[in-house]
Amino acid sequence: MLRSRPALLDVIASWTDPFLSAPRAADSFPNKWAPEMLNITNLRRTFFAGTADEKVALDGLSLSLGKGEFGVIIGSNGAGKSTLLNAISGALQVDEGTIAIADDDVTRMPVHDRARHVARVFQDPMKGTASGMTIAENMLLAELRTSKARLKPGLTRKRLDNYREQLSYLKLGLEDRMDTQVSLLSGGQRQSLSLVMAVIKEPDILLLDEHTAALDPRTANLVLNATLRAVSALKLTTLMVSHNMQHAVDYGNRILMLEAGKVKLDISGAEKKGVSVQSLTNHFAIKSDRMLLGA
Amino acid sequence: MNEVISTFIALIPVTLAQSLILSFVVLAIMIPFRILSFPDLTSEGAYPLGGAVCAIAMVSGVPAYLAIPLAVVAGFVAGCATALIHLRFKIHTLLAGILVTTMLYSVNLRILGKPNVPLFKETKLFDYLDLGKGMNNLEKILIVGLLMGVVGFGLRLWFMTERGIAMRAVGDNPDMAEAQGNNVDRAIFLGVGAAGGCAALSGSLMVQSQAFVDVNMGIGLLINALAALMIGETILGRRKISQQLLAPFVGSLIYYQLISFCLAAGLAPSDLKIATGIFVLVMLGAPILKGKRNTTRLAKESIRE
Repeated sequence: MLRSRPALLDVIASWTDPFLSAPRAADSFPNKWAPEMLNITNLRRTFFAGTADEKVALDGLSLSLGKGEFGVIIGSNGAGKSTLLNAISGALQVDEGTIAIADDDVTRMPVHDRARHVARVFQDPMKGTASGMTIAENMLLAELRTSKARLKPGLTRKRLDNYREQLSYLKLGLEDRMDTQVSLLSGGQRQSLSLVMAVIKEPDILLLDEHTAALDPRTANLVLNATLRAVSALKLTTLMVSHNMQHAVDYGNRILMLEAGKVKLDISGAEKKGVSVQSLTNHFAIKSDRMLLGA
Repeated sequence: MNEVISTFIALIPVTLAQSLILSFVVLAIMIPFRILSFPDLTSEGAYPLGGAVCAIAMVSGVPAYLAIPLAVVAGFVAGCATALIHLRFKIHTLLAGILVTTMLYSVNLRILGKPNVPLFKETKLFDYLDLGKGMNNLEKILIVGLLMGVVGFGLRLWFMTERGIAMRAVGDNPDMAEAQGNNVDRAIFLGVGAAGGCAALSGSLMVQSQAFVDVNMGIGLLINALAALMIGETILGRRKISQQLLAPFVGSLIYYQLISFCLAAGLAPSDLKIATGIFVLVMLGAPILKGKRNTTRLAKESIRE
């Protein structure tokens, strides 16, 4: 799974190029998804079961994602978007159903074991980094995601050189601040760092949990573009939660609309190319009408 | 005034020996509190536990150099018990520590069989070094100082390894540490257990130094250790891990000299506790009162950037 370093560096370098726009729509994706990367079947999770506050967050949700697919998850508040991501990352145990990543059944696997498959960037820039530790130490933690931490020297000269190089391509000057505590970075810088940390060891699946929502519009755009470049260049299997319909139309090759803990709408391939925000809303209305008639 | 000074100077060696021994308790407070964000009170029970285990082992003929590791293991188990109570039953760390300390009081009494046991005939660790008559304190200072150097150096190395850095991440941001593949529970067991071991080590050295063990020897120790830690951190800072690791030792050395000075100046021993308490309060509170403006400025700067 190790990608040669220059390729990764090119990716990071291209992130910050303001003249390149984000890769659009679905044309860059193949039509067939040979091996399945993520396979979720019949996922069920109820909060406060048996009380007046009972809430079914995931209601028999099934979903599968091929290797290299990029799904954008949309849906209103309480539709189960975050619950789904938490279930995949292992932060939340499900009541029923199975989750398999890269043919590995991870349903009952604890978060720290699942980490070798999953990387995640959170909405809150504070969550994805250890703020009291230095940039270099955070990079080390990210590098160790796919392996066990050993009783060997941590920040070796070789590693520091690597990190410095990788960070230099972000053009944020982080490479000169390797010993700076992450708490002193701005939200955008932290989120950029989180992103590098998430892809430095290519994950089998990358989870993006509204990771630009807490940033100002300009920074959000920068981080989003960087994300899209990394995802497309490294061909990462990705699930991105967004509140922005336009994002769902513009990016990725699949739109997954969640409602009441189920995938209500799954648009991909050629269909995805013709979609606009307007048609998405209409389409959704028609589908629900059909469903109403069917019922 | 001269008399105060001369009393104080006469007390320096014995205070130094004592503060070196107790610096391990300060370390036992620091590791869970600062590295793992797991404020822990187990030390107050692990310290007399270490003393009791060591003393009883020595009384029954185990040599000092084996009795001490036994005590450390007992302390480690006590620390793990606290970690287990917190992790398994989601009981607050402080309460978990109080529970274990309370239960340990009975355990210690069971181990000892009576409230105190003298250790006059047994060969203490300090007896292995013989510098001649009247050099008792120097022997203790050298031996415990060496031990302190070894432990401190070992910890410094540990926190430079991959596992050591991962352990710090567990204290800094447990969710993130876990998402990066670190077993949070195991790190907490190890860290809190090690802290219990350190406290027990201190207890086992103390009973050999004072040649008796008393089941009440841990009472009030914690606040002293906390005060010592505050002093060390104020003097050295705690931004870097090396500063953080050195702080308990430096703090302990200075704190007990301060106490010794207060006693030499005529402060009643019974007033020491309130003095220490006020001191800790000031040390913990001062940055909040003084630094309010600074922290908001810092926060603004980082947002603006």
